[in-house]
Amino acid sequence: MTISGLLKSAIVATIGFAGVARAEETVVWWDFLGGGDGVRMKKLIEDFNAAHAGQIKIDATTLEWGTPFYAKVQTSAAVGEAPDIMTYHASRIPLAVQQGVLQEITAEDWAAMGLGQGDFAPATWDAVSIDGKQYAVPLDTHPIVLYYNKDLLEAAGMLDETGKPKGMDSREGFTATLQALKDNGVKFPLGSVTADGNFMFRTIYSLVGQQNGELMTDGEFLAGDNGDKLANALGVLSEWTTAGLQSTYTDYPATVALFTSGEAAMMINGVWEVPTMTDLNAQGKLFNWGAVELPVIFDKPATYADSHAFALPLNQGKEMTPEKRAAVLEIMSWMSKNSLFWATAGHIPANGTVTASPEYAAMEPNATYSTLTANMIFDPKTPLAGVAGPIFDVMSTYFVPTLNGEMDPAEAVESIKEELNAL
Amino acid sequence: MLTNRRKDALVAAVLVAPFLAIYLLVFVWPTIQMFGISFTDAPLIGSGEWVGLDNYARLDSDPRFRTAAWNTAYFVLLTVLPGTIIALLISLGVSRLKGRLQAAILALFFLPYILPVSVVYLIWDWVLNFQFGISMHILDLLGLERIPITKSREWFMPAVGIVTIWWTAGFSILLFLAGLRSIPVEIYEAAALDNAGRWTTFRRITWPLLWPVTSLVFTIQLIAQLKIFDQVYLFSQGGRPNDNMVLVYYVFQRAFQQDQGGRAAAVAVTLFVLVVVVSVLQFQLLRLAGGRK
Amino acid sequence: MTATGIRRANFWGGVITALTILMALIWAFPLYWGVISSLKPEDEVVRPYIELWPENLTFQHYVHALTATQIGAWYVNSIAVAVGVTVITIVTSMLCGYALSQLQFPGRKLLWWLILASFMVPTQALIINHFVLTSQLGLINTWAGIMLPQLIHPVIIIVYKQFFDQVPHDFREAAVMDNAGEFRILFRVYLPMNWGVTTALSIVCFIWTWNAFLWPFLSVTRTEMMTITVGITQVNDAFGVYYARELAAAVLAGLPVALAYLLFQRRVTEAITLSAGIKG
Repeated sequence: MTISGLLKSAIVATIGFAGVARAEETVVWWDFLGGGDGVRMKKLIEDFNAAHAGQIKIDATTLEWGTPFYAKVQTSAAVGEAPDIMTYHASRIPLAVQQGVLQEITAEDWAAMGLGQGDFAPATWDAVSIDGKQYAVPLDTHPIVLYYNKDLLEAAGMLDETGKPKGMDSREGFTATLQALKDNGVKFPLGSVTADGNFMFRTIYSLVGQQNGELMTDGEFLAGDNGDKLANALGVLSEWTTAGLQSTYTDYPATVALFTSGEAAMMINGVWEVPTMTDLNAQGKLFNWGAVELPVIFDKPATYADSHAFALPLNQGKEMTPEKRAAVLEIMSWMSKNSLFWATAGHIPANGTVTASPEYAAMEPNATYSTLTANMIFDPKTPLAGVAGPIFDVMSTYFVPTLNGEMDPAEAVESIKEELNAL
Repeated sequence: MLTNRRKDALVAAVLVAPFLAIYLLVFVWPTIQMFGISFTDAPLIGSGEWVGLDNYARLDSDPRFRTAAWNTAYFVLLTVLPGTIIALLISLGVSRLKGRLQAAILALFFLPYILPVSVVYLIWDWVLNFQFGISMHILDLLGLERIPITKSREWFMPAVGIVTIWWTAGFSILLFLAGLRSIPVEIYEAAALDNAGRWTTFRRITWPLLWPVTSLVFTIQLIAQLKIFDQVYLFSQGGRPNDNMVLVYYVFQRAFQQDQGGRAAAVAVTLFVLVVVVSVLQFQLLRLAGGRK
Repeated sequence: MTATGIRRANFWGGVITALTILMALIWAFPLYWGVISSLKPEDEVVRPYIELWPENLTFQHYVHALTATQIGAWYVNSIAVAVGVTVITIVTSMLCGYALSQLQFPGRKLLWWLILASFMVPTQALIINHFVLTSQLGLINTWAGIMLPQLIHPVIIIVYKQFFDQVPHDFREAAVMDNAGEFRILFRVYLPMNWGVTTALSIVCFIWTWNAFLWPFLSVTRTEMMTITVGITQVNDAFGVYYARELAAAVLAGLPVALAYLLFQRRVTEAITLSAGIKG
């Protein structure tokens, strides 16, 4: 053996030894959970790390939700700098697969995790599958709900005997409730994220769904009367703006602040803000509050929902070591099986065993809005859809002007149609 | 002598080499590459097929490119001349002060310039916050309607323009002050003897003698504001980026958010050419204007 | 000038002075407001009226920013990058400026022309290819990668050249007589005579790099490698509504440069005017 050969093997031995000595596998984790649910995820990560001390350590970072997050993921994967694991929206998986950003979760992977198709609802499983292959492990389903301030509604006489807002079954009824709140001196009967078209996509899509409308039929956008249905949806919201019933030009943090400070009596927001309310309430800093399924403004109940899932980025030019992969699989498996706690973040866990448990059935306010699971609608399954995807991007551009009374709904729909079909 | 020449050249080569290497690597090479990929359909990372002038042809009917070009021009209009005038007025005021007081007042005007853009953004975003910002409380006190400054199309560019002037004026003020200091006191004394009024003195003495500095400030501002990105990006977060689109932002969006390196490069080339043409034109114009004086 | 004329002039002069001072206070008010807001508890900052001084002064947001966020790592990155860029830029520009000023060599005109022309190049247009280049070199998420495209500031070369041009020729001739090499001449004669310039240029270069946003924002995808100016806007560490906390992070990010300015006010202003090509 030459000297250099000797040296080499010495180095290998040292590294190998060091590897054994500190076998702890550090897993780089990215998420976009900046809402109230982020606190819950932090806790889950802490618990995971504690349970796996010396074996696996999650090194977690929370980035800005939406476009910034997905832009970072995309560019980092292209240059081999993506994390080991990340949260991902199921709605965006078709786009991600087309871009080649995700690794497949193979049959062996599922077996290693002790999870499989049988553990998830068919729609959930389908959302992470493309051409029979899976690209993510579903964690939850997260719809939007109507948060309300019981004290303010009661004062305005708008609370029914079960403690829910009145007028939840029609456009006129709900508008009347808002008006009654306004007349009773509430500054913003409804707090809406009117400054952020990305956010409003959920509310508007729900309202389209309430009319049986669809975004995409046979590859065409807003065909037939779907355009009118979108215009109707925008019409209701802009009507509330014109009547001074809804907060205008309000960004996300401000909407939450308006609601929690009592300036807005109701708020349409994701279930992920449930922990914000629970925590404030526990500190004695919040009024009596509740959360229910969205009001039925049109023909039938419908609520937009998406799924958070875990996905593995496909790092260009970098192979994942078997040890790393095992660690990542363990994380996804553990998170899925321990997602009962995730339900305290308002979400509906994707793991069927968890939702079938009596503990979950008793959880509040989840139980109150659990009726909506029958009425959930999802993004169309196309590479154009998904959070921060092309459809999302185009539509949200026109939402802000429409919702704040700068633009006519019909005009907005025309422009949206034109741009979408040009994609 | 000849050997000396050769030795000089050799030494010079060594001295110049590090700079030249960096220059070629980060200026020349990327510029060539930028032109190259603008004729392809490449993603951000990786190569693509040759598509000829397609990427440029698409710009013509691309509404977002039009928005970006218009907003960039609008922003330049809002900031360059007003910024220069405001800086000039402030420097005239500051130059009257003496000693410690002058240093203190100058510091107040100059401090924003020293701050990173993200700090400027966080402070102003807070000041202008539609729900809780102090500017809204002031509007309330004045009995005026609140204005969603960073969220509405009409107010966004003017607001970012004002913030930009606030942020960068310090720099221009310093240049003007240096210019004012270099005007000999005797000239003013002579003017005072002639009983020249304040305005006459300014128009006859200060303005012409300050012209080189004014044109310098104007040039620097113009080139800088054509390349606007940071403030627009930051203030658009959680708002309406597509309405506030500017050229550099569009390059960023196409390349880094939509993974279309080729189309992004076409926009980048357009911006590149625009900046070069404007620089050359303006240089010539200012020389002419300066020559006439 | 008559007595009334002088009095009138004094009156209007007083008005202008008062206006200037008032304007300065208004100008600086947003800074004050940002700092003050960061010293209030969260529920106090969203009060529906103006509160010019905190009712309950608190440093909790600073404690949080310094202990519970990655701000420490961001400071280190910012300092490393700013120092690196400054040192490399100053040294390479000085060498180049010296050659241009003192040596005759083929291509000198061309080089000078290239430097002047580069003023017109918008580096923002080159971001795509800077990213490609940096990733090809494997430098994404490294200090070197953040530094690379920032290493050229043509104006620094120009300023050095101007100052070297002004050094009387006797010095150089004497040194050449002594058979001193060019490096010796540069470092023993030209550099010491221009320490002031070097300090000033280093200060501006440091500030420029510290404040850079676009490139550090693009070239870093891992939060622990971000510079502070990028980190405070990209990492969402605040759950719920935390306006004061964000402002505290902003104050921390701006503090080093603001302090440097307040401490070395004269030097900095000198440096800035110099960087525009105006000799102070």
